[in-house]
Amino acid sequence: MSKPCPLSTQIPGPAVGRPAIELKGLGKAFPGRDVPALDGIDLAVPKGTIYGILGPNGAGKTTLMSILGGLLKPTSGAACIDGHDTATGRAAIKRILGLVPQEPAVYPTLTARENLDYFGRMQGLSGAHLQARIQACLELAEMAEHADRRVDQFSGGYRRRLNMVIGLIHEPRILILDEPTVAIDPHSRSLIHQRLRELHAAGITILISTHYMEEAEHLCQRIAIINHGKLLVQGTVPDLLAMQRDKTIQLQLEGDPPADLEARLEGISGLLEVHVAGRCVLIVAEQPDSLVAPLMRAIHERGLGVRSMSFGTASLEQVFLALTGSPGAPK
Amino acid sequence: MMSSLAKFGASIAKEARILGRDRQALILFFSMPVVFVLILSLSLRDAFGDRPGATFPVLVVAQDSAEVGHAIIQTFRANPHIQLALSRTASEAQARQWLIDGHYRFVVLVPAGATDQAKRRLGEILASVPPELRIEKPVEIRVLADPAMRADYRQVLESSVDLVLHGVEMRLAREQVEQTLRATQGENHMPLPDMENARLFGAVQGETVTKQGRGQTPSSVQQNAPAWTLLAMFFLTVPLSVSFIKEREQGSLFRLQTMNVPAWVVLGGKAVPFFVINQIQMISVLAVSVHVLPLLGGDRLDLGNAPFALALMGACASLAAIGFGLAVAMYARTTEQAAGFSSAMVMIMGALGGILVPKAVMPPLMQDLANLSPLSWGLDGFQDVFVRGGGITDVLPEALGLLAFSAFCHGVGILRYQGRI
Repeated sequence: MSKPCPLSTQIPGPAVGRPAIELKGLGKAFPGRDVPALDGIDLAVPKGTIYGILGPNGAGKTTLMSILGGLLKPTSGAACIDGHDTATGRAAIKRILGLVPQEPAVYPTLTARENLDYFGRMQGLSGAHLQARIQACLELAEMAEHADRRVDQFSGGYRRRLNMVIGLIHEPRILILDEPTVAIDPHSRSLIHQRLRELHAAGITILISTHYMEEAEHLCQRIAIINHGKLLVQGTVPDLLAMQRDKTIQLQLEGDPPADLEARLEGISGLLEVHVAGRCVLIVAEQPDSLVAPLMRAIHERGLGVRSMSFGTASLEQVFLALTGSPGAPK
Repeated sequence: MMSSLAKFGASIAKEARILGRDRQALILFFSMPVVFVLILSLSLRDAFGDRPGATFPVLVVAQDSAEVGHAIIQTFRANPHIQLALSRTASEAQARQWLIDGHYRFVVLVPAGATDQAKRRLGEILASVPPELRIEKPVEIRVLADPAMRADYRQVLESSVDLVLHGVEMRLAREQVEQTLRATQGENHMPLPDMENARLFGAVQGETVTKQGRGQTPSSVQQNAPAWTLLAMFFLTVPLSVSFIKEREQGSLFRLQTMNVPAWVVLGGKAVPFFVINQIQMISVLAVSVHVLPLLGGDRLDLGNAPFALALMGACASLAAIGFGLAVAMYARTTEQAAGFSSAMVMIMGALGGILVPKAVMPPLMQDLANLSPLSWGLDGFQDVFVRGGGITDVLPEALGLLAFSAFCHGVGILRYQGRI
C-alpha cells in the first residue's frame, strides 16, 4: 500500500481534478556538487495535456525524468504522479505511467516483437491481451512488417519508434518521453509527432522533454523552461510567446559580426539584453521600436549589412534564449 | 507472487534467447574447459600420481662391466619410471653434451674397473689396514642431472644408485669373507649365512588411504577436470557482468526499474541461464574425461560413487561464480572495467586456489593462502569425491563455503541494484 501523495491535501476536490503530474518544491542535490541538480521546482501538469519541458544541457531535465521514473529520490519536496508519491508509490504508478527513455532502451539481439513481448510481460500482461497489445503497438509504430527482425538491424528511426511503443504496451494514462526525436529521420519524427497527437486526443497526458523548440511550440499546449535546476517559467505557448512579443527585435546579418558587436550594442540606451548567435542578433528592450534607428546605425558603423529584421513576433526560441542565455543550446 | 514468477520465467526466457543468439560465445563457453582438460590432462599425465607412464630417459655409461655396472643396469632396467640407455664406451664429455642437448635427463657414470677397485679397497678394509694407509680410494659413481629436473627426482635417483651400491658392497663383502675362509679353513669352512635372502625388513609398502580403502592417488585428470571446470565456471563471470552492464548502458535496465520489476526477477532471470551453462560445462568436462580421454591415451577419470555430492558441488560452485559476476557488474562502470576486473580476479583466485598450480606443490604458506580462494574450496570438494572417495557429508564444508560466498556476493549485488549501498 503506497503512501498518499503529500501534495494531495493541497488539491481540493475529487481525484479527477488533480494534476496528472505534480512537483512541489522538488529538489535534488548530489554529493560533491555545489549546485543542486534541481532546486525547488513547482510544476503541475494537468490531465489530458501535452506538456513540454525545455532546458539547455545540464538544466536538470534528466534528473527530473529519473525522479519521475522512480530511479532517484528527491532530497527535498515531492513529485507525484496521479496522486502517488514517486518515492513510495511505485507499484501504483507503474500501471498508469509509461516512460520512454532518451536512448532506445531495447535488446538489440531480440526482434521487435520479442522486445514488446518481454516488456509487456514485465508490465504484467499475458496471453491474448498481450498478443493484441503487441500487434497494436507494432501497427502504431508502422513496423508490423519488421516485427520479426532483430533490432540491431533497424535504423535509428525504427529503434526510436519501437522505444516509444514499448512505453505504451500496457496502455498507460500518463506518458513521459525524454527527447524522443533526437537524431532521427524526418519521417520517423513526423510519425512520432502524429502518434503523440493521437494519444493526446485519446486522453493520455504527455510530458515531453525536448531540445527542439519547433517541436515544443507545435506539439505542446503548455511548456516549462528550466535552467540550472530552477524553473524559469511555465505556461501555455501563447502566454510564453506573449512574454517577449513586444520586447524583442531579431536581426539577421549579412555577414559574420565582429567579436565586440555584442559589447558595442549593449551601450545603446534603452536596451535591456542583447544576444549574438552567429549572424542572428536578439535584442530585448522595453520599447523596441524606439531602438530600431540607433541599432541600425550601430550595425552599419561596424560595416555590416542587415538581411532581415523583425520585431513584435517572438518565437519560442527567442523566449528560450532570452530566459536561459544559452544561444548554443537550442536547435 | 504468481505474477512475479511469470516475470521470472519471461526474464529467463529472454536471457536464454539472447545467449542462444551468440553462438560463438556459446561454443567458447563449452569448448574452452573441454579443450583445456584434454590438453593439460594429456600433457601433465606423467607429472601426477604413481604411474608407470611417468618416465624419463637415463643414460648409464657403464665402462665397468662387472658387478657394479651390472647391478646398476639391472636395477634401472627393472624400474618402470626409467627409460634406460646404455653405453659402454662413451666418454664423460660426450655424456655431458648429450645431457645438455636434452637427450637424457640423467647420466650415471660408472668408471672402468669400478668393481676391481671396490674389491681391492674391500681387501684392505678386511685386512684391517688403517684408513690413512689404504691405497685404494672409494669408487666414485657420479650422477649428472638436467637442471630442469626437479630436485626431488634427482634425490630419488641418487638414493636408488646409493642403494644399489650398498647391495653390491654387501655381496662383495660376503664373497671376500668366503674366499678368506676358504683359504684358511679349506673347502669345508664354516658356512656363511645366505645374506641375499636374509633381509630383516620387508620391502617398504606404500599405500594411499581413502574412505573406501581404494589405494589410488590423484591423477592428472583428477586434478585438471575439476580445476578447469571451476575456472570455466568462474570465467563466465566475464560475459555475465558484461551483459548486465550492457543492459544498463542500453537503458533496458533503467526501463525495468521504472516498471518496478523486483530485483530478484531481474538478477535471477539473468543468473539461471548462466547456471545452466555452468552445469552443462561440468557435465561435458566430466563426460570427456571419462569417455574421450582414455581413447587419446590419457587416464580415465574415476568419478567416485557420490553423484549427488558432485551435483551439489557443481551447483554451489556455479552459484558462487554467478554471485561474483553480479557483484562485479553492480560496481563496474563500463564493460571494459567489468571484463578486466573479473577476468583478472578469476585468474588470481585460480592461481591462488590450486587451479593453475596444484596445491600439493605449493609451499606451506601458499597452501594456507590457497584456502582463501573459493576455487580452492571447489577443487577440494570435487577431489573429496574423485580422489578420497567422499560423499555428501564430506563435501558439505566446501559446499557451504561456496554458498556463503554466493550469498554474500548476491546480497551485495542486490543491495547495490536497489541503490541501498
